[in-house]
Amino acid sequence: MRAGFGLLLMSMMLACTPESSRESALTTETASSGTLSIYTVNYPLAYMADRIVGSRGDVSFPAPPDVDPATWSPGPETIIDYQQADLILLNGAGYAAWVTNASLPRSRLVDTTARIADRLIPIESSVTHSHGPTGDHSHSGTAFTTWLDLEIAIEQARAVLDALVRTRPKHEEEFRQAFTDLEAEFRDIDTKLVAATKRLDSQPVLFSHPVYQYFERRYKVNGYAVHWEPDALPVTALWVQLKAVLREHPAKIMIWESDPLPETRRRLMELGIVSVVMRPGGNKPAEGDLLDLLQKGIAALEGATKI
Amino acid sequence: MKGIFYLAWRYLAYNRWKTSILVGSIMLIIYLPVGLNVVVEESGEHLMARAEATPLLVGAKGSPLELVLNSLYFSLETPELMDYAAASSIIESGLAKAIPLYVRFRSREQPIVGTSIEYFGFRDLQLASGRLPALLGECVLGAAAALELGVAVGDSVVSSPETAFDLAGIYPLKMSVVGLLAPNFTPDDDAIFIDVKTAWVIEGLGHGHQDLARPEAASAVLRRSEDGIVANASVVQFNEISESNIDTFHFHGDLGGYPLTAVVAVPNDQKSGVILMGRYVDGEAQSQIIRPNDVVDDLLDTILTIQQFIVAAVIIVAIATIATAALVFLLSLRLRRREIDTIGKIGGGRWQVASMLLTEVVIVLILGSSLALGLTVLTWRYGSTIIERFVLT
Amino acid sequence: MIDIEDLQFHYADGDFRLDIPRLKVNQGERVAVVGPSGSGKTTLLNLIAGIARPQSGRISTGATDLLALDDGKVRDFRIENIGLVFQEFELLEYLDVLDNVLLPYRINNSLRLDTTVVQRARDLLDSVGIGDKHDRHPEHLSQGEKQRAAVCRALLVKPPLLLADEPTGNLDPMNKDRVLDILLAYASDNGATLVTVTHDRNLLDRFERIVDFEQFLGHGPGH
Repeated sequence: MRAGFGLLLMSMMLACTPESSRESALTTETASSGTLSIYTVNYPLAYMADRIVGSRGDVSFPAPPDVDPATWSPGPETIIDYQQADLILLNGAGYAAWVTNASLPRSRLVDTTARIADRLIPIESSVTHSHGPTGDHSHSGTAFTTWLDLEIAIEQARAVLDALVRTRPKHEEEFRQAFTDLEAEFRDIDTKLVAATKRLDSQPVLFSHPVYQYFERRYKVNGYAVHWEPDALPVTALWVQLKAVLREHPAKIMIWESDPLPETRRRLMELGIVSVVMRPGGNKPAEGDLLDLLQKGIAALEGATKI
Repeated sequence: MKGIFYLAWRYLAYNRWKTSILVGSIMLIIYLPVGLNVVVEESGEHLMARAEATPLLVGAKGSPLELVLNSLYFSLETPELMDYAAASSIIESGLAKAIPLYVRFRSREQPIVGTSIEYFGFRDLQLASGRLPALLGECVLGAAAALELGVAVGDSVVSSPETAFDLAGIYPLKMSVVGLLAPNFTPDDDAIFIDVKTAWVIEGLGHGHQDLARPEAASAVLRRSEDGIVANASVVQFNEISESNIDTFHFHGDLGGYPLTAVVAVPNDQKSGVILMGRYVDGEAQSQIIRPNDVVDDLLDTILTIQQFIVAAVIIVAIATIATAALVFLLSLRLRRREIDTIGKIGGGRWQVASMLLTEVVIVLILGSSLALGLTVLTWRYGSTIIERFVLT
Repeated sequence: MIDIEDLQFHYADGDFRLDIPRLKVNQGERVAVVGPSGSGKTTLLNLIAGIARPQSGRISTGATDLLALDDGKVRDFRIENIGLVFQEFELLEYLDVLDNVLLPYRINNSLRLDTTVVQRARDLLDSVGIGDKHDRHPEHLSQGEKQRAAVCRALLVKPPLLLADEPTGNLDPMNKDRVLDILLAYASDNGATLVTVTHDRNLLDRFERIVDFEQFLGHGPGH
């Protein structure tokens, strides 16, 4: 009896030893020194970040090359990669809707157009419905190819700079110098775009898709956007619609985000419309970089306005 | 001495009810003040550890205690709600990291904690399996929550409706379990963690619905025109977020006005913390900022005062109990007169008899004390868990 | 075995007085003590056993002058040399039969309890017919079984002197004979002295000698 009680007491004492087993550490926290890990939602931001951070960071933009990052939705594993980054650069203006439905560390998100929200261009969407406690509402949005206004692109780059300086203040000088160099190149492009679009002299212009709002506003282009896919021959109805548009908006140039089909190009020529490719550059180009892309666009526009 | 002990033990064993009552009384007399002290100390340490790990808490003006209990211990009582903009404003100030909390909903008895991904690093929570939430509608469960709900990675949990009859209000949302946390021995073990936006979906502030361009949605369409499609209130909303419908989920209006129950502010340094606190000193401010440490400290002071009263009462009862036990003992001596005489006649001396009686008392005291010790040890081990589970929540 | 001379005893309240000028019991004698109630028969047994001390006189048991010993030594002497059997059995209710029999060995340090003693106790219980009830408590025994258990307790130490105070007083006729048989057989087999107080005249012819306490009444200062 006595022995039994003693055993009971001992086992109670042993049971009270707190458990202290730990799994391998999990953290979404990142190191405060060392190479920065930067993730972006589109190529232009990746380009800007890469130019400014230089060797102090690794920039990742994991969207596959054949997708439009504006509508791309990464899988959970890719989102986990984003979560581990030191900085996550967002375009803002509703670009990359997947961000809204993803779990990202708020303190490491950088909305590169947050400070210039008043300069963003709102657009009305197509669905109005009534449900839930709030009653009638529609899905309104914002134009998101912000970098096509090079002044906004500079502001976005500045937001990237500020984030980098906040995160790695000891490299501030280095970052600022890199930003200054980039800003100068952006200004050069901006000047060339001003000159190239000036030659349009307010002539009406068509856009294959409504993705040139910022370009249109900054460079005072008299544009009208249709919804034509470069890799698809427009159906008859679209040509009929186009002719109706041309009656009010007699454009001679149509700006495409990528090469249209030769047949489309030919039929447009029959209507007196020259096709000009100005790639917005949301995703990484097969060759060259963002500046090369913009330069090519300027060259194409210049070529069309000489005609 | 062995013989005396044997006789004493046989007497106690034979009179098991009387012995049990005496042992139980001794146990209670010792355990109540000691156990209470252990509970209060352990709970206090536990509470304080949790509070100390939370530098600052921002919430709507109201009861600081309610704010702390809901934010740190996920209590049922929801404090006044505040706007998500408060979290943004803290981040933008550059003074602190801001971790939003929306602790309002439950899945059965388990609290659903809407927060951000940074919560896990802040609380040093470790994954036992799976991963952290990446998308809307995903959840990660604390170890105890997973056990209670009987779920593993790949299963799902459903949020409980707030009321049965509010058909247009909060409805159940089915969420995918993508990860389980390792035991942390804090209230986090009982929680279901989701992104704060998923919590807003539960509330109905965010939703996903049919593609109105599809034929299946025809009955929900009022009219179609060049400008767009106008739908009516019968449009089907999804109560589960999946890969096929996640892209339809959206939020209306400015997220800054969406509700939170609190924001955990982790200042960059002490100076930043002081500056941040200064921003809320203004009486016009809509929110309050508190140090959970201070609130829990006040709570523990109150508990200590109550404890002292209880201990005083227990001591009085103990004196009365001891006096009663002594009386019972003396009365039983009278009843055992004949037994004592028999032992004396057979050859047992006064010392033997006294030793036997004293041994009975000592055995009762040892048993009572041992049980009290055992209970105290159990209390030390589980007391704070019981307090958290059944008192604070 | 027992030698009493000029023994005078009275209780503290003074109402009763016992005065025995001379009483001698030889080793091995089987003596019945009879007399009216209240004449002091039980007191005599208590004095012989050393449970009570006389105010004056001499009393020796065996070769031991009990009055020369202190209380502790008297108790040791008693437990090693005298077996006591009581009318009311005097078993402890919280001990089973075996433990009751072994009681003397547990309450006195002069006796050593070992397996030999335990086996002897079991054998004694077997010999009186209650060996199968060794683990029962007294409340589950009949009167005769209780007294037999009490007798075993008295006999366990192999005492040279047995003092039995009305051992058959609460028993039915069959058990009376049975218990007395056990006591007498022990005395006979072991050469022990048996002094039995009894009111039962039917049993007297089983004793060698009868001491009538009438003879001691009327003696002493109060008579």
